[in-house]
Amino acid sequence: MRKVAIIGAGMTRFGRSEATLVDLLSQASLAALGAASLGERRVDAVYVANMGAARLNRQTAVASALVDALQLFPAMAESVENGPASGASAFKNGYQAVASGMADVVLVTGGERMRAVNNLEATDFVASLSHPQAEYIYGVTLPALAGLFTRLYMDRYGVKPEHLARVAIKNHANAAKNPYAHIRQEITMEGILTSPDAVVNNPFIADPLRLYDCCPVSDGAAALVLCPLETAQTLGGPVVRIGGIGQATDTHAVHERPDPTQLSAVRLAAQKAFSMAGLTPKEIDVAELHDAFTILEIAESEEAGFFEKGKGHLALEKGVTALSGKLPINPSGGLKAKGHPVGATGVAQLVELVWQLRGEAGQRQVKGAKTAFACNFGGFGNNVVASVLQREG
Amino acid sequence: MEDRVCGARCTACGKESYPAHAVCPKCGGLEFEAFEVSGEGKVLTYTDVYALPLDYALRYLRLAIVELNGGLRATGQLLDEEPKIGKRVRATIGVVRTSGGRKIHGLQFVPM
Amino acid sequence: MSHEDELEGLLRPPAMDMPPYPPKVITLASGEEMVVRQIDRDEVPTLLKAIAPLIWVERDFYDVVAARLFGELLAYKRYRVRDEYCLVGLIDGVLAGIVNGRAVSPEVGMSYHTLTIRRGLRVGSHLFAAKMEYHIDFLKEQEVLIVAESPIGFRRWMIEYPLDKKYEVQHELGGVPSWTLTKKTYLAAKPRLVAGRRPVSEKLLERAKAIVLPGDELVKAQVLGDKEEAL
Repeated sequence: MRKVAIIGAGMTRFGRSEATLVDLLSQASLAALGAASLGERRVDAVYVANMGAARLNRQTAVASALVDALQLFPAMAESVENGPASGASAFKNGYQAVASGMADVVLVTGGERMRAVNNLEATDFVASLSHPQAEYIYGVTLPALAGLFTRLYMDRYGVKPEHLARVAIKNHANAAKNPYAHIRQEITMEGILTSPDAVVNNPFIADPLRLYDCCPVSDGAAALVLCPLETAQTLGGPVVRIGGIGQATDTHAVHERPDPTQLSAVRLAAQKAFSMAGLTPKEIDVAELHDAFTILEIAESEEAGFFEKGKGHLALEKGVTALSGKLPINPSGGLKAKGHPVGATGVAQLVELVWQLRGEAGQRQVKGAKTAFACNFGGFGNNVVASVLQREG
Repeated sequence: MEDRVCGARCTACGKESYPAHAVCPKCGGLEFEAFEVSGEGKVLTYTDVYALPLDYALRYLRLAIVELNGGLRATGQLLDEEPKIGKRVRATIGVVRTSGGRKIHGLQFVPM
Repeated sequence: MSHEDELEGLLRPPAMDMPPYPPKVITLASGEEMVVRQIDRDEVPTLLKAIAPLIWVERDFYDVVAARLFGELLAYKRYRVRDEYCLVGLIDGVLAGIVNGRAVSPEVGMSYHTLTIRRGLRVGSHLFAAKMEYHIDFLKEQEVLIVAESPIGFRRWMIEYPLDKKYEVQHELGGVPSWTLTKKTYLAAKPRLVAGRRPVSEKLLERAKAIVLPGDELVKAQVLGDKEEAL
């Protein structure tokens, strides 16, 4: 198996777009290809991460459509659907293609055009990842599963509303420095929690989760270009290597998990990624975690091995995970403020980390970042893909 | 049968699972018989969902994960004005969603 | 009386005695404070300047709302609409949103429009709630008739308060029949939906005295959520 590097990264602004899905994917792809300085090399394979094209945009075979838009034929191409973890799954497939020798230049791109439908439809669409007979029929939505999880987490580990608010405030502040973020509006504890008006500003979505605990519905796309490490080393500039990728699954119905506060798929996926990279969580300089709901940033930071189970909120309190802290989490603004076009997210996390490792993250730059970790959370934690990236030299 | 919610009992080892699976989680068996998910239990966790999907014209919907006597767990709607973690409830069957004009029955938990 | 005065008398509606809306201040999610206050007729020209560019923005029905609001405020200024009022939201003196309506009778109010300029902070929700507060808590009406152009905002009000159908009454804005917010529903929803504190400090009131307009480009950017880069 060859070692694999990432030589290009790009994304569109996340938010509200009038462009088509293929337009968004093309934009992000061209940005990544442009950054990759491929020269005469052709793209051998394209992996497209997307969850909703068939239902939201009435389009199928999106990868084939993208190859045509980008004039990349006869490249191999296919779509990858793994719910909210589609992005990292597409990335994993791209990695495998290069590592195995089957492809030399791979384009991985993820995108979603969610706002083509109204909010009710979008909520229902995401809810379709739940168990059809045991969850969906009850009106279960992803926020509902997160609400059930959060109440239990708060009861068991003492996480308080202030902790959830801190995640949102931190991520909004980071996103204000990110020109690609959906929401670039700073928020304060007073505004969302402590003032008498906070109750109106920040209504319940799935209690105990409130509006500012939940990520927005976004359109957008992100892309990466992969090639063998050897090739990357000849191109000059900082080289970003894929150190490890891990994936794990868990029960479909959340109620079947022995301990519903455990995210064992996150734990196992992270362990596999670290093991493959030959690194430990302590050595990570910066991380992008899947904060579709603020509680998930806290829970994933524990399961990934950065903090003891049930203590993640204490590290957050101390500022460990702030941009200026010892382990900045979600410098991009996370899903909460950067946005969450479902298929794009896993790829966008890696785009941010590539920029961080290459020193190209502008005002969000984590100084001297050499190792990075990403966690892309599919379903409600029943399919998780974790990645470790490293800068060489 | 629309007024029962069923799980699957493995004919080889007797393990009861809900929802049903193609393979027994305990012994890997492939043959099952249906059993009714019913009885009493306690609330493990609950939430009031305000951002509802299609088919609901309510301001919010109260959902819960309940652990029934015997350890089997289920997700359902909670019809309790004063929900609490650990509170004892009983499983009933009611209309939980109306989709495309069709009434769908499922678990509704009520306080004991 | 001069001939002109006589004609003006024919065309100017009688005015109900409407108590003024006491200003309040709301802390927004950003931590910024928004003063909500009523306007005088002589402030209308300033508002018209802010509204005019939005007449050409199709997204989210801004064009229809802006065009109609423009007409309503102009008619209010020139005394050609009966018992109309207008409230504005000001953040550090800068115009964030406008709402208006009128009193139909001592019992019934008619909600006209809600125009949000500063988006992303629920300014529209806050100002709509302030309007309802004015009708029911201060004008002492029993219900407020409501319709909307934009389906998104309307569905939110429909479900959040919630509103009741009152299809036997045609709303003045034309189009569909009315929905209504009753006093009972309003009072039950008030703790969840109506924010703000009174009285407003002298300092904040001073800051909110003159309406400062965000520039045309800023307004468009806000309303459109920043331009997407064209392919």
